[in-house]
Amino acid sequence: MATTYLDITNEVLRELNEVVLTSGNFSSAAGIQKFVKDSINKALFDIANEEPQLPFFSAGVSGGTDPFYGNVTVPTTAGTRWYLLKSNSSSITTDYASIDWDDFYLTTINVSGASAPYVSEGLRYITLDDWKTHLRDQENADDADTQVYGEPKYVFKSPDSRKFGLSPIPDKVYNVHFYAFTVPTELSAYGDAIALPDQYANVITSRARYYVWQFKESPQQAAFALEEFKRGMKFMKSNLINPTPKYISDDRTYF
Amino acid sequence: MAKSQPFTVACNGGLIKSVNSIDLLKTPGAAKILENFEVSVEGGYRRINGYAKLGTTSATQPAGSTVNIVGVFPYADGVVACASTNIYFSLDGITWLQINRSSVGTNENYSTFNGRGTLTRANQAQCQFALFEGATYDYGLLVISDGVNEPFYFRMEGSGALSNRTYNAGEITVDGTNGVKYVTIHDKHLIAAGVIDNESTVYYSTLLDPTTFTGTGSGEVTISDKIVGIKSFRQDLFIFCENSIHKLQDINGTPSVVPVAENVGCLSGHSIQEIGGDIVFLAQDGIRTVAGTARIGDVELGTVSKNIQPIMVTIAQNIDDYIIDSVVIREKSQYRLYYSNVALGNSSQKGIIGTLRPDGFQWSETVGLEVTAVNSNFNTDGVEVYYHGDTNGYIYTHDTGYNFNGSNINAKYQTSDYDYGDLGTLKTMHYVKLSIAPEAAITPTLRVRYDYDTTTIPQPSDYELSIPAPSIFGSTTFGSANFGAGEQPLTRVALQGSGHSNSFRVFSDDTSASYIVNGFYIDFIPSGRR
Repeated sequence: MATTYLDITNEVLRELNEVVLTSGNFSSAAGIQKFVKDSINKALFDIANEEPQLPFFSAGVSGGTDPFYGNVTVPTTAGTRWYLLKSNSSSITTDYASIDWDDFYLTTINVSGASAPYVSEGLRYITLDDWKTHLRDQENADDADTQVYGEPKYVFKSPDSRKFGLSPIPDKVYNVHFYAFTVPTELSAYGDAIALPDQYANVITSRARYYVWQFKESPQQAAFALEEFKRGMKFMKSNLINPTPKYISDDRTYF
Repeated sequence: MAKSQPFTVACNGGLIKSVNSIDLLKTPGAAKILENFEVSVEGGYRRINGYAKLGTTSATQPAGSTVNIVGVFPYADGVVACASTNIYFSLDGITWLQINRSSVGTNENYSTFNGRGTLTRANQAQCQFALFEGATYDYGLLVISDGVNEPFYFRMEGSGALSNRTYNAGEITVDGTNGVKYVTIHDKHLIAAGVIDNESTVYYSTLLDPTTFTGTGSGEVTISDKIVGIKSFRQDLFIFCENSIHKLQDINGTPSVVPVAENVGCLSGHSIQEIGGDIVFLAQDGIRTVAGTARIGDVELGTVSKNIQPIMVTIAQNIDDYIIDSVVIREKSQYRLYYSNVALGNSSQKGIIGTLRPDGFQWSETVGLEVTAVNSNFNTDGVEVYYHGDTNGYIYTHDTGYNFNGSNINAKYQTSDYDYGDLGTLKTMHYVKLSIAPEAAITPTLRVRYDYDTTTIPQPSDYELSIPAPSIFGSTTFGSANFGAGEQPLTRVALQGSGHSNSFRVFSDDTSASYIVNGFYIDFIPSGRR
């Protein structure tokens, strides 16, 4: 059973020798109890900020659109260059927290009306500057003239980070698959479960204690808690992000 | 991390109700609530004793029915009780002998006395007693006034079974057939005051004969105020009136009345007691003393209940609703004043206890102890005994045992709030060591409340304590006591929570043994000034 907001708040309160909360008074907590509640959310965001691509921040289950990698699929439209990374997001505050730009995939498989031979290839990430320097002018000219378009080869990020662009501008409908990570939801109700596995709950509590000890004007204890947090983050990242053998890859095969 | 800091509090000062919460920070030893505790003469706060029916499980009601006890007095080797229209004597609280007999001769034997007709004490109200020792009397001559009837005297001689004793009894005529409220013995005279239709007159009996008010040495003096109480103190008789106090001097020479105070009066003659070289009484503004001074003939008046002034104001404002009675428990240097409203249930009855400490009276409250009559006296063994009565019609041994006639004693002691020297600093509590001296195994509860029991932050749960009975070398029985239990154990309780101030409450609601809370050692960690 996942650790709840009440559980982890009380864990910190007990470590601080403070009065624990109950489901009955959780929402009306004040004083140090309220500060601990706030610190839990701050700690959660700190973890997400430091390493947004931790698996538990994933926007969805990997391989949801089997057999493709990624957890988000965006269909293209002929003649449209820019696409929202999160289609139903109204602003950057509700966008994905992080995108794996190194793993965009373009395909016509599963596209309605498409038939073999299918297009199925990775999109190479290029910077906005490279795109502006080498590709934008001719694509814009084509768009304004013959509108031939083409099969996208590159993906790049819009300046506001809300959209991805494709180059060349798609000439038909494709599916673009990529991997996205969400912003963790702020904990609110006492029964809200934390995103992290219980094994890593101490990373949240150590970071929360870091804030509370500062509140209690105990820099030494805060430093201890910070050190514990750093150590917890290091192990968490090591365990969850890099558990596989280290190797160097050469993705020039995309050319 | 800031180092933990100690804070030690010795329980001293008693209940303080008349000081604001910030002022109380300066007196950590004082109590905000001290119910059914008493200030111990050795220091600390002791849960009070209970009371038990005289006659225990075989006890009977003197009047045989549930009526108010309007008077009780330890006499000889038994107790005299007034209830309904009669007066009774008992050795054991089980069998009662009606003593208000008419036409009683001198030293009548039991059967003759018991065969006399009843001298009905119609409508007798709250009684007052005066014991005239007499040079040749076994137990003295007891005079009883009830405010309605003529004073009644009773004298018993002999020992052993009541059937082997002789009896003397009758009414005393003070002023015609008028009833008398107050009686006392002063300088070999019986003094009577509060006489119906002559409520400003003090009557004194014939010298060495308390049953006659017409012989040599008898007389009367009239003063300008209504008398509400009298008390013999040293060579003077103090006369307490509604709005003034006087003293009668030189009763065996040239009697004269000297004013003591012209704007201080007494609310109840039943509140007047002598303790610690003073007379204490209930005045309009609280408990006052009439203290003898170094100068012969001079006195000074002082208020000694300022710490519980709100309680005294309540009593004064509702004096007509209460039955006021008081007793001094000499071995504890205690003055107890009970104010019972018989219209209310037992749990609502209250009283105050003032313990005379080197620095004056320290106060506490009683709750749930209904007292319609109370008195103390020395029994034939020279031991002071205390009895009280209530609306159930029984006589109880006062201040004994660990329960209220079998019911729990609900005792609460709450400290003032502690700021540990700085109200602005947040403190995280670490632990407290309670110095509690139990008289047997006890299980009191400790409650901690932060920031004046604010409801905006969660407060910690109560801490249940278990303190074993002390094992004292030389007095403890091997095999029945817990080895290692100290006489004055320090019970360590790990605490949770933080606040800018906090209070402690030690409470119990059981029939376990009494205990003395001596003080606290508190370990806390300063945690910033936010």
